Amino acid sequence: MNIEKHTEAIKACRFCFMCRHLSGIGNVTFRESDTPRVRALLLDQVMSNPALLANADTLETLYNSDLSAACRYHCVKHFDENGLLLAAREDVVKAGLAPADVCQVAAEYLARPAAPAISGKGDVLYFIDYNTAAVPAIATAFGKIMKKAGVSYRSAEKGCPGKALKVLGYANEAQKAAREFAAAVNAANVKTIVVSNPAAYDALVHDFPEMGIKLKGKVMHTSEYLLSLKLACRKKAGALYYLESDFLKNYHPDYEFPGKLLSHLGAKRLTFGTNNEESYTCGEGALVLQQLRPVLVKKLACYIEARADHPEKDLLVTASPYTRKQLSTHTKLKVVTLEELTASLI
Amino acid sequence: MLIERKSYLFEMIRNELADAVGAEFVNCADSDKMGHSIDYYWIPELWHDRGKETKKPDFVVHPGSAEEVSKVLKIANQYQIPVTTWGGGSGSQGGALPVYGGIILDTKRMNKVLQIDEQSLSVTCETGIIARHLEWEVNKAGYSTMHLPASIACATIGGFLAHRGTGVLSTKWGKIEDMVMSLEVVTPTGEIIQTLPVPRHASGPDLTMLFLGSEGTLGVITKVTLKIHPQPEARKFRAFIFEDMHTAMSAGADLMRSRLRPCAVRLYDEEETSHHVKRVLGLDRKGAYLVFGFDGQEKIVDLEMEYALQIMSRYKAEDLGSKGGELWWENKYKFFYPGYMFHLPQAFGTLDTVADFAHIEKVYQAMKDVVKTNFPQARFIGHFSHWYEWGCMLYARFIFEGEHVPADAEEAVALYNRVWDLAIRAAIANGGVINEHHGVGLKLGRLMKELYGDGFKVLEGIKKTLDPNNIMNPGKMGFKGV
Ligand SMILES: Cc1cc2nc3c(=O)[nH]c(=O)nc-3n(C[C@H](O)[C@H](O)[C@H](O)COP(=O)(O)OP(=O)(O)OC[C@H]3O[C@@H](n4cnc5c(N)ncnc54)[C@H](O)[C@@H]3O)c2cc1C
Ligand code: SF4
Repeated sequence: MNIEKHTEAIKACRFCFMCRHLSGIGNVTFRESDTPRVRALLLDQVMSNPALLANADTLETLYNSDLSAACRYHCVKHFDENGLLLAAREDVVKAGLAPADVCQVAAEYLARPAAPAISGKGDVLYFIDYNTAAVPAIATAFGKIMKKAGVSYRSAEKGCPGKALKVLGYANEAQKAAREFAAAVNAANVKTIVVSNPAAYDALVHDFPEMGIKLKGKVMHTSEYLLSLKLACRKKAGALYYLESDFLKNYHPDYEFPGKLLSHLGAKRLTFGTNNEESYTCGEGALVLQQLRPVLVKKLACYIEARADHPEKDLLVTASPYTRKQLSTHTKLKVVTLEELTASLI
Repeated sequence: MLIERKSYLFEMIRNELADAVGAEFVNCADSDKMGHSIDYYWIPELWHDRGKETKKPDFVVHPGSAEEVSKVLKIANQYQIPVTTWGGGSGSQGGALPVYGGIILDTKRMNKVLQIDEQSLSVTCETGIIARHLEWEVNKAGYSTMHLPASIACATIGGFLAHRGTGVLSTKWGKIEDMVMSLEVVTPTGEIIQTLPVPRHASGPDLTMLFLGSEGTLGVITKVTLKIHPQPEARKFRAFIFEDMHTAMSAGADLMRSRLRPCAVRLYDEEETSHHVKRVLGLDRKGAYLVFGFDGQEKIVDLEMEYALQIMSRYKAEDLGSKGGELWWENKYKFFYPGYMFHLPQAFGTLDTVADFAHIEKVYQAMKDVVKTNFPQARFIGHFSHWYEWGCMLYARFIFEGEHVPADAEEAVALYNRVWDLAIRAAIANGGVINEHHGVGLKLGRLMKELYGDGFKVLEGIKKTLDPNNIMNPGKMGFKGV
């Protein structure tokens, strides 16, 4: 079983309570099962009796997580509670135990072409994945910035680098999609690949090398790329709250570019909520949580809204198109992405 | 619980509970029942590790208010179902385990901060809030509860109230019982009561104190008003290495007797200094590590520190400076994370107790002797964490390495219990008590009568009066089981 690779995390987490305050789902369901501790306890049992993986409640628990990795990040030894869950989901799928709702979401992604449709000219390729495409204002803002900067670029629309499938536990299918995606992108022969969605960034920068897939061109999140353009601003961003992305904060702890871009834009960053440890992303790490657990996503959104200083007035900025979409759908919060903010200032 | 899961009575009770708290908040999922069958007590951990079935609740309910708690308790009385209150489950004494099945009443949905009163400097909140979340909220307003226990991230405020818990700053700011202004409690029969609004009065005996430390046996604490404090301008630490624990203890006691007001004092014995302190802080020294700190207005902190250093200068000790002290403060929680904390296959326990300065070293020695003599295969380490004007708390630990823990679960439990019995009896015989801040729970209930003597009848009388059907956490704290 894949979870055996994570025995260390199972043994560490199964009796540990030290990061429960950061269990995003646990904080809205109040359920013990939605914590790294209980997930590890359940998987500990599965290690000695694999038949227990078929338990419907265990399966529900495994797919409830927001995969924010806030707990792993907080953990003094960074035990990989997140990787454990992904491995468990892989075991679930391999054993043919994927619950119907999971199969349904996976089927949607399997039906989509992995290779993106590429158009335009230039050395820069801008990848507009499904989450980014769901908020058209983001690509529009990016286009406006590029025009202003005088850089021509190509767009890679839709397409699937396999991240959603990976998160659902469909490792082989994810790998196949990743290869097809990479082949199409490599054929474009660009110098720079820019992505707005931090999940896509993680796929390209972390998952691809892990699968042995090489991409031609340097991958950058838009924050890094926009900063490199050294744009002149008409006005300063002023006071705002930046909601950290799970992928850019907890998965890539040294990713400094969103902060640097905000400084460049003249932002005065205020602390959102009460701390900078909790995930305020509506389950960005789980990628398809909205399709899988819409009720939980709504709860996560309300949890964030309840922590705003002035919910209808404050300007919230996110690096994540997913978070932008969920917060705009479920709350009254005023939220824009880094691209939208940048476009409004230049 | 005697009702069968598949019976229609089970479904009827589930419906009644759903009516009380909402269907979404009555949970019978195997995964949650599993989560509530193991707390931070070593025995259920071992039980699980050995592949044995841990005792599960029948229902997990998440009430959202005192009114809903009251409804749940009334249902439980009607059917005589045991109710075990569960906050974070981080208690180390098995207090939150549903040993007779029945209802787990999980408090975490009652997590609101209701008011921060900047005139009286207090905060009123529901008790299911995780202590870290409360502290963050209070910090945002510019204050602190000054309740900073190592389990701040996982334990609820209700759990601390129920256990008379303690944080690292207790020496100046007090244990939780010193921080409480007032409580709202739902009694076992479902009445919602409010204790007096202030903690100092002459209006009869103190109901607030009755419920503090009652570990879910006398009702559910649903709201609390706690004192809060402005964030101190400065907090400074200093550490020393003494040749031996006895000398360091004299210095620590002198510090307390001087009536200076350190916010924290911690003294590690030689064994813990050379192993645990070394592992966590990277400080490689022989002897006993003593650290203390002061907080408040910077000028006053500096002055207090100056006086404290004068006291220390009377002793032969290596001054590790403020760096050596800050190191401890920065890493104070690290001791408790996997990788640094003891864990299975080790068998370990925190034999915490408290005594006055006239007795504390005797208690330490007696516990150490009894462990070393009867269990030569075990290690014994200790530190003194919470200091008072009159004495201090001993946080002693015994540790058996995996190879010394019987493979058979029953035998391992018997060994474990024997250590506790002998060590705690040694503490009591020398002026200590059963526990200082972790509580009694399931682990130490059997020793309560020995500690209290006839006094325990008073507690039993109170329990009987408040909980005539014995539904609240039966079998815990020395009270009758089902
Ligand atoms: C890593 C770690 C470090 C720790 N460090 C400390 C420390 O520094 N200081 C300290 O004091 N403790 C410490 N503890 C022990 C533990 O955190 C405390 O005992 C805490 O009070 C338990 O709170 P909880 O919410 O987890 O309660 P639980 O474990 O859920 O319950 C404990 C008991 O309280 C009862 N209870 C819970 N909530 C209520 C309520 N609202 N009304 C009535 N009864 C209730 C339960 O029935 C049970 O008997 C530590 C534990 C861990 C895991
Ligand atoms: S991730 Fe770390 S802190 Fe969280 S449960 Fe696991 S071991 Fe504990």
